[in-house]
Amino acid sequence: MKVLSYDDVELGDDLPGEIPDVSMLKVTAFCTAAKHVFERFVDHEAARKEGFPAAIVPGIMSQSLLLAMIHRWAPGCTVRKIDTVFRGTLLVDSKVTMSGAVTDTDDSARTVEVDLVITAEDGRTGVIGTAVIEFQA
Amino acid sequence: MAESSGSVDIAEARAEWVGVEFDWAEFTIDKDAMIQWALACGETDERFIDPLHSDFQAHPSFTTHCMSGRLFPKNFPQIGGGFGIDGGKTVTAHLPIRAGATLSAITTIADIFDKTGRSGTMVFIVQRMEFKDETGALVSTVDWKMIKKA
Repeated sequence: MKVLSYDDVELGDDLPGEIPDVSMLKVTAFCTAAKHVFERFVDHEAARKEGFPAAIVPGIMSQSLLLAMIHRWAPGCTVRKIDTVFRGTLLVDSKVTMSGAVTDTDDSARTVEVDLVITAEDGRTGVIGTAVIEFQA
Repeated sequence: MAESSGSVDIAEARAEWVGVEFDWAEFTIDKDAMIQWALACGETDERFIDPLHSDFQAHPSFTTHCMSGRLFPKNFPQIGGGFGIDGGKTVTAHLPIRAGATLSAITTIADIFDKTGRSGTMVFIVQRMEFKDETGALVSTVDWKMIKKA
C-alpha cells in the first residue's frame, strides 16, 4: 500500500517487499553513471578470479535500490538520511529481495524511521539499514 | 573495547586524527549521470528521472560515488591489517542537488573505534565527505565506514 502522507503511516507497517532488477545490464548502467566500472561488478569471470562466486552488486547501488523502494512506498517523501551496512555480497543476475518496516514515528517532525533489509537469493542477509523519511505538512 | 590495534592505540589515534581535514575536491553534477543512476536503480519518481520536472534533483545517495583523492591523511598510522573492506555508508541529504551544480567537498576522519565480536576485534575508520554547493550551503554528508581486522 502506498502512503501519501505522514498520517497514513502506522508504527510497524511493512513496506511492500520488492525484487529489484540486479541484472548485468542494470548494474553496468549504474556503474557507468557512478564511474565505478570495475570488473568485479560488471564481469562474472573476472569477479570469480577475485574470489567471488560471480559479479557483485556495488554497495552504493544497493543503497539506491532501497531509496527507490521507499519512493514508491511514499511518493513525494524526502529521505533525509539513509544508513546501510554491507554485510554480505549480492550477486549480479541473482534474485534478491528488499523489505522494510516502520520502526519509529515523530509527530512533530513528521518523520518516520524504517528498518531496511536486502536478502540474497540463498537467504543470506546482504544489506541492512535504516532511513529517516520526512513527509510534507 | 580494545585499547590498541597492533602498535596503534585507538584512543590516541582518535584524539589525534578525528576532525582532521585531508582532502578537498570539486565535483560537477552531470544531468545524464543523475538520470542513468536513478533509472538503473529502478527509480520511478519523476523528481529523479525527468529533467523537466520542476523539482528535478539527484538521487539522495548520488554523492556516494564522489571519491576523495586520498583514503587517509598524510602520516595517518597503519591501523589494523590490509586495506580493509567497505562496511557501509550513511548519507544525510540536507538539500536537493541540482543538475549542473558544482559541489565542493571536504574530507575528514569522522571517527575511529573498534568492536569485538565472535570473529575478533575489528577497527572502524569513518571517512566523512561534506558537500557544499556554490552558495556554501551544505547539501550532502556521506560517512564511509572502512572495517579492518585489528
